[in-house]
Amino acid sequence: MTAPRLPHLAIALLERFGPDREALVGDLIEEFERRQSLAWLWWQVLAAIAAASLEPAVEIRPLRLVDLQPVDAAERARRLLLRPRNINLTGTPVSGVGGITLLVLCMLVTIVAPGIWLGVLASILAGVVFGLALIRRHDGVQVGSTPIWSNQV
Amino acid sequence: MPPLLLTDFELMILLAILRLGDEAYGVTIAREIEETGGRRVLLGAAYAALDRLERKGLVSSWMGDPTPERGGRAKRYFKVTPRGVRAIRDTRQALTALWRGVPQLQEGHA
Repeated sequence: MTAPRLPHLAIALLERFGPDREALVGDLIEEFERRQSLAWLWWQVLAAIAAASLEPAVEIRPLRLVDLQPVDAAERARRLLLRPRNINLTGTPVSGVGGITLLVLCMLVTIVAPGIWLGVLASILAGVVFGLALIRRHDGVQVGSTPIWSNQV
Repeated sequence: MPPLLLTDFELMILLAILRLGDEAYGVTIAREIEETGGRRVLLGAAYAALDRLERKGLVSSWMGDPTPERGGRAKRYFKVTPRGVRAIRDTRQALTALWRGVPQLQEGHA
């Protein structure tokens, strides 16, 4: 039996979305060489991304209203207004990810792990079937069921 | 000075770092907790806790040299600060105080 190869897609995902990328990625590679388990690695990667997204992104600082001078406050407010803001003008919901990026990502997925598309297709089909079943059930309830008040009249 | 109290996972991490000495980095910390403490560890969760402990000043960290068996990535080593040692002692005292005088926890009690 051959040893499983390191899934580069998992590492790329972790490097993009995970915390403390270098040390954590190195630790996972080192431990993967010992365990040789793809399931273990994927579970660790997904949990790390989830943990990173749950951690507060910014440090919460207490308001310092007492020792703040009015001039300083005005200057800070001016800087806040002048701060550039990122507006997502692309057609995608994710800021910073445009159509070309999505296209490249799709190509990479096709090259690295084409089996994922089967999963995507199966998920879409399952969603459609589930949605149709819900609509059918909803219609069936409306048409077939008798209103509660009909027995009372 | 108010006591510095730790969660069970933070306490395990700090104790593992102390036990490992100069060899405390992500993999060895997780392995020590799993083998000695009997608790499964997610490396991502361990790093989240370590970052939190570092922000509180209970551990300090530094980067080692990159190694080929880690895909050229460096290890991040950890050390417990004097404040961290105090937090361990405070937590132990709090737990011991709660432990004391509970009849269900006495030796020989079913």
